[in-house]
Amino acid sequence: MRDYKKYLIAFGLLVISFGYILMSNETGVARIFVNLLTFAGIYGLAAIGINVHFGWTGLLNFGHAAFMGIGAYTTILLIPHALGREGVVIENGLPLPIAVIIGMIAAALLGLLLGLPTLRLRGDYLAIVTIAAAEIFRLLIRDFEDITGGVYGVIQFSDALQDLRPNFITNLATNIEVSSSQLWVGVITWILILITLLFLNRLQNSPWGRALRAVREDEDAVRALGKNAVWLKLQSFMLGASIGGLSGILLAFNYGTLQVSTFVPVLTFYLWAALILGGVGSLAGPALGAVIFWVIISGTDSLAEVFFENANGQQLAGVRFVFVGLLIMFTMIFTPSGILGKKEELLLDIK
Amino acid sequence: MIDQLGNGLLLGLIVAIASVSLSLLYGVTRIVNFAHGEIIALGAVLTLFFSSSPESSFLYLDRYSPLGSSFIVSSVASILLCGVFGALLELCLFRPLRKHNYGNVAVLVITIGLSIFLRHIFLLFASAKPTSYALDLQKREDYFGIQLTPRNVQVLIIGIIVMILVGLFLSYTKTGKAMRAVRDSSELASVSGINSDYIITLTWVFSSMLAGFTGIIQGVINNVRWNMGFLILLLIFAGSILGGIGTSFGAMFGGFIIGMLVQLSVGLSFMDGHTEAKNAIALALMIIILLIRPQGIFGSKERIS
Repeated sequence: MRDYKKYLIAFGLLVISFGYILMSNETGVARIFVNLLTFAGIYGLAAIGINVHFGWTGLLNFGHAAFMGIGAYTTILLIPHALGREGVVIENGLPLPIAVIIGMIAAALLGLLLGLPTLRLRGDYLAIVTIAAAEIFRLLIRDFEDITGGVYGVIQFSDALQDLRPNFITNLATNIEVSSSQLWVGVITWILILITLLFLNRLQNSPWGRALRAVREDEDAVRALGKNAVWLKLQSFMLGASIGGLSGILLAFNYGTLQVSTFVPVLTFYLWAALILGGVGSLAGPALGAVIFWVIISGTDSLAEVFFENANGQQLAGVRFVFVGLLIMFTMIFTPSGILGKKEELLLDIK
Repeated sequence: MIDQLGNGLLLGLIVAIASVSLSLLYGVTRIVNFAHGEIIALGAVLTLFFSSSPESSFLYLDRYSPLGSSFIVSSVASILLCGVFGALLELCLFRPLRKHNYGNVAVLVITIGLSIFLRHIFLLFASAKPTSYALDLQKREDYFGIQLTPRNVQVLIIGIIVMILVGLFLSYTKTGKAMRAVRDSSELASVSGINSDYIITLTWVFSSMLAGFTGIIQGVINNVRWNMGFLILLLIFAGSILGGIGTSFGAMFGGFIIGMLVQLSVGLSFMDGHTEAKNAIALALMIIILLIRPQGIFGSKERIS
């Protein structure tokens, strides 16, 4: 009965959010919606990865940007692209699906690498190590320009995905006057979210999923039953990391260029805000949270106009992040289980 | 490598003092404070706010310098205000959270929210451009083979005096001993008649003042930036973990090593053309330390698992 009420609240919030977008924009509403839902979908998918870590297993991962980044860089560098300052064109590459799978495996391997030293330690160490690892990753990407394009990034890789675009998407995009490439990325994103959620739903109710939740509730009991708790945590860490890698790939395709500045620490904080808002531990929570989060973010831009006349990019970002910070704080203080989460399933204390 | 020695000493000092303040706060309150970097930045930004010259365009607000642009007076006022800010954080945020039994994960996430909030307040009211204090430019001179400006030497001396004073305070004063007692076991401390709420508030004040001081010397040596706290926070974590998080002298030592290492690694041959990677080396060292000796060099085992 209580669950029923929760979904009603979620539905109500979505209606209010979309109503707000409709009311506040007179022209180009379709374009705004497609843009918002595509970004929200990608962030939602990434937040689903963090949810596997934190909601299911109780692991504090604050370096999700690194998993997204390594997935994106591995995949994009394996398909045809143009690289760096001179825009060196690399014509040959792997087919996209294989590159995506390798990218996700790379993200999982980074998870293994980070998890091995830290998963035996107390939770807050993992938070510090993951945030540090994300910073190391970013600095290395910036510094090794020959391989990664450095600050100049990677371009001209979108065709690998856009060549697969069916005609009806292109026609639909023309009819409602939106960017056909973004619409295609958005459609793929939400299909992937659906597949991921169906897969996670099965996994959650499998013996493996139950063992994971047992690790979160009482690690010693899991050990006493002969399960390897550290290995279970590692598996969960790798699974969440590979979901993060997948969302990073989508993010690169949505931007159309791959920039190291995309994978800054604040990206991870965005994801956490979406996750906490939507509800830690619930399946659809992160995706819902990401949608509502993006509506709030677009609302802060008009708020910035109230405070600053002709607000520049820096002021817009400032107001935006002031709200992200407040949102994280207030949600955690007043409704830590978010919109869809279950309070009794929330791990908020690590002994 | 040797030309980096002066910079190494300075960064080592900054990270050492900041690590003590972070580590003490962690020890006493068990809060992994991701907003600590922002308190560091607060010290630097407030000093700039009080002492900037009339032509300065650092702040969007009208310049406010009741202290007559005197740098020393401005810094002292800023350090005191950082202490007040620390007390306010404890009284208005962290004490209520403690009384309502919020878990440490919830509090950690809240400090991250707080850090994002504060950092972007600085961005809104201060320009994104790095700004220097209105101090005259000085040339580097040779001190026993180490290249430093006279002001850097003053900063080094003041910093070392502050570290010695912190050490003496923690070792010999009643309050310092009480802080260490609460850190080691808050139950035993309260049985011995120590008011732990009072001690925790004092720790917030003390730690925030130290953090503010760090920010000011960082601003003097380099410059003031809205995100300076976040940039140095990871080095502070690395220093605290290297020395042993929760310890004081360990953190001091660990912080100094990390700061030195970051600067000295610039001179290594394989780092040629990879200046951005210098912070990566310190952070990688932190991960290696966690792998082989997670309690840090001076930490005790029961703190970590």
